[in-house]
Amino acid sequence: MNKSGHIDWDAVKQRVAAAGHLLEEEFAPSADTCRAIFEARARALAVEPAAEPGAGFDALEFTLAREHYAIDTTWVREVYPLREFTPLPGTPSFVLGIIHVRGRVVSVLDLKRFFDLAPIGLSDLNKVIVLANETMEFGILADSIVGVRRLLRAEVQESLPTLTGIRADYLLGITGRREVVLDARKLLSDPAIVVATGAGN
Amino acid sequence: MPSTDDEQLLQRLLGIFRVEAAEHLKTMAGLLSTLEGPPPPADMPALIEALFREAHSLKGAARSVNLSAIETVCKELEDVLSALKRRPPAKLTPGWFRNTYRSVDTLEEMLGTQAADGEVTAPSAAEDVAGLQPATDPGSTTAVTEKALPKPAADTVRISSARLAALLIETEELLAFKFGTAHLADELHAIAHDVMREYKEINRGTREARALRRQRGTGDGAARTSAAFESLLDLVDHDEHRVKALSERLSALSQRAERESRALAASVDNLQAELRIALMQPFAALLEVLPKLVRDLSRDNGKDVDLHIDGAELEIDRRILEQLKDPLIHLIRNAVDHGIESPSARRQAGKPPRGLITITVLPLEGNRVRLLIADDGAGVDPLKIATAAGKFGLIAQEDVPGVDRNAALELMFASGLSTSPILTDLSGRGLGLAIVREKVERLSGTIVAESPDDGGTRFHIVLPTMLATFRGVLVAVGEQRFVLPSRAVERVLRVAVDTIRTVENREAIEIDGKAVALVRLADVLGLVAGSGAGERMAVVVLTAGSQRIAFAVDAVLGDQEVLVKGLGPQLRRVAHFSGATVLGSGQLVPIIDIADLLKSAPHAATKAGTPSAPPAGQHSLLVVEDSITSRNLLKTILETAGYRVTTAVDGVDALTALKTGQVELVVSDVEMPRMDGFTLTETIRKDSKLAELPVILVTALDSREDRERGVDVGANAYIVKSSFDQSNLLEAIRRLI
Repeated sequence: MNKSGHIDWDAVKQRVAAAGHLLEEEFAPSADTCRAIFEARARALAVEPAAEPGAGFDALEFTLAREHYAIDTTWVREVYPLREFTPLPGTPSFVLGIIHVRGRVVSVLDLKRFFDLAPIGLSDLNKVIVLANETMEFGILADSIVGVRRLLRAEVQESLPTLTGIRADYLLGITGRREVVLDARKLLSDPAIVVATGAGN
Repeated sequence: MPSTDDEQLLQRLLGIFRVEAAEHLKTMAGLLSTLEGPPPPADMPALIEALFREAHSLKGAARSVNLSAIETVCKELEDVLSALKRRPPAKLTPGWFRNTYRSVDTLEEMLGTQAADGEVTAPSAAEDVAGLQPATDPGSTTAVTEKALPKPAADTVRISSARLAALLIETEELLAFKFGTAHLADELHAIAHDVMREYKEINRGTREARALRRQRGTGDGAARTSAAFESLLDLVDHDEHRVKALSERLSALSQRAERESRALAASVDNLQAELRIALMQPFAALLEVLPKLVRDLSRDNGKDVDLHIDGAELEIDRRILEQLKDPLIHLIRNAVDHGIESPSARRQAGKPPRGLITITVLPLEGNRVRLLIADDGAGVDPLKIATAAGKFGLIAQEDVPGVDRNAALELMFASGLSTSPILTDLSGRGLGLAIVREKVERLSGTIVAESPDDGGTRFHIVLPTMLATFRGVLVAVGEQRFVLPSRAVERVLRVAVDTIRTVENREAIEIDGKAVALVRLADVLGLVAGSGAGERMAVVVLTAGSQRIAFAVDAVLGDQEVLVKGLGPQLRRVAHFSGATVLGSGQLVPIIDIADLLKSAPHAATKAGTPSAPPAGQHSLLVVEDSITSRNLLKTILETAGYRVTTAVDGVDALTALKTGQVELVVSDVEMPRMDGFTLTETIRKDSKLAELPVILVTALDSREDRERGVDVGANAYIVKSSFDQSNLLEAIRRLI
């Protein structure tokens, strides 16, 4: 623009005017702009606080075949001692059977078998943790319940699946204390966990 | 001009339609969001089919109340879906979803307008629906203004069916308490009986003691009773009084519990019966829609049809009636559309020009009812149906000429068949009769089509008038119990094992002179039957349709009313089981699905001649373990290895088992409530009769101290659970016995 050496005043004026206009808008934005700004702020505020470093969740810790596991209590409906159960012949081996809980029939699953973990040793499996979301409900077996503690997201490291033998899809990660953190949301919505077989198959 | 009666009727119908239409739309929205999922490709055709059926049903419902604008939108939607059904795309495009959602929205809007002012007009939104035509003839939209509903009679109240349904569910839950209290009363009775017997024993002892005291008292002074002996006799006397008082109180309590339980049962039964009656409605509530429907349909088709209804006053459970609406409307449509000929054709055939459709409701025995829908039309043309079936690929082309009337009547119920040369807006979609049969069968009903030689078509629908209380026959197979639905149980009998015949490697028994296939329930379910290899065998004969099979079980424990519960969302469909029920004792028992069982029975591995129970004479072991899963696992391992296994839940339980039965070796957990494995082993070693009994401890405790303690108390082997492996357990057992 200034190859001829003199200043292009028209261009300068235009830029100043544009800047002034922008400033004006900044200080007195139109109603539409205001709404857009507020919406953007609301969206920013509505983002799950998970991104914050201090975020976490309450986790139920339990043991299964001498491993420690943790699961987000959001999905835990109740915990029961397993006193009796009714096996259903013909169901996949990961289905232990059904139990009667407050008027409902709840199926009880053995995660060790569902995950195809090598059957090492003999474990008690006499606790049932009932997991549920809006549409799904089942119990998983545990040897013992350790307790509930706050687990920070930052504590949960992504783990190599080979470390636990459980497919990475079902894991949120592993904690510094080597607790395997299961993804209950994923388990509850996994079509592979649903039994739907007819006769003669 | 419509008469006032017709107008009132239309108002009532519109009200019903709105509720129904809202349901259809909700289901459609649900299906669409599932389709958006996206679902596994294998599920796509079924989802599209379901969506298509919903649109089809809504179209029909809209037509029956003259809402042609809604009908048109449904028809367009149906066309789009029908094309999809024929050529399923690999993936549904976002554009398709947008359009389809918009159609559903349009329908919702139209319904909303209709609800507000009673008049339906296609809102402007309908016009920009891609692929959908706007309502063609707004003039035909019945302009009816919403009027106040007819005033109900003074002594009735309106209640939403959802609330009634909730009440019914609550009442059904009461059944569990009925069964539970009956069981408790029985238990109490048994305990009272035991205590009474105990008292009689004590009473005998006390009488002897009293005799002894009298003897001593009358003896000479030299034999003076010692003070200690006297106080012992006093104590015996005192005990007798206390046990007597306790026994009397217990008997009184038991009797009262029984009375209360009976009263509760009667009260629950009455409540349920009353509620069932409250849920009954006359057929008229459903049939009153039809005269208008027939009138409109015949006008549109250029036919003259009379409708004759008989037995509309008969009552039936409203839940059945609700489900019957779609099938019935469909059958009537078929009759007008395909059945009744045009007046000219009728005249040519020498029939009166006006056709006749008759609907007859007849009560049958056993709380059932027969619904007969008959027309005096041309009847079913086997060739026409066979040709259509061939065209739609339901049968092979070369089979078409060979189809007889009965086969043709059966083909009519196949999905995807339509004989109508032109797709009319009424039926002719071909899916109708398949839906009709499906709906009727879901209500435990049957439907049969008939086409006599003198013309006409008849549909016989047989239905239960009430959704019956479910009764089941409780049977035992091995240690498991199952409920067989009583309605499928023809009879229960005991047959002598030597009357079982083997025909072509299959077992059969003779019932009333007829050979009936005999299958072991354990074999079908893949279980091990109990060892009850007696001379007679318990058999349950099950029938469904034309099938009749005898199932051998270990025991028939009785017939009772049961409350059916689903298996939960994770067990969406389990072969051979339709649900479960809770017995009075709290035990959960699976309910057998008869259709599945009869389907699988012919394929069950028959072990003719070889009893499924293990041979007698093997070693018997006792497994003591408080965890039910470990207990079952150990039991299975040991039984598979050929041992006879009994179980106990803790040390105390184990000692009782050891005193009553012959046990050659004990496998016990250590940490258990009441009495642990160490104490159990110690007690066994101190008992003169049991001292030599081998004991294997299987435990989670693996410290050196624990091992040493195990050795100290006298265990023969100590297996740590963390390194448990069935081979080392079996090896240890083999070394010890």
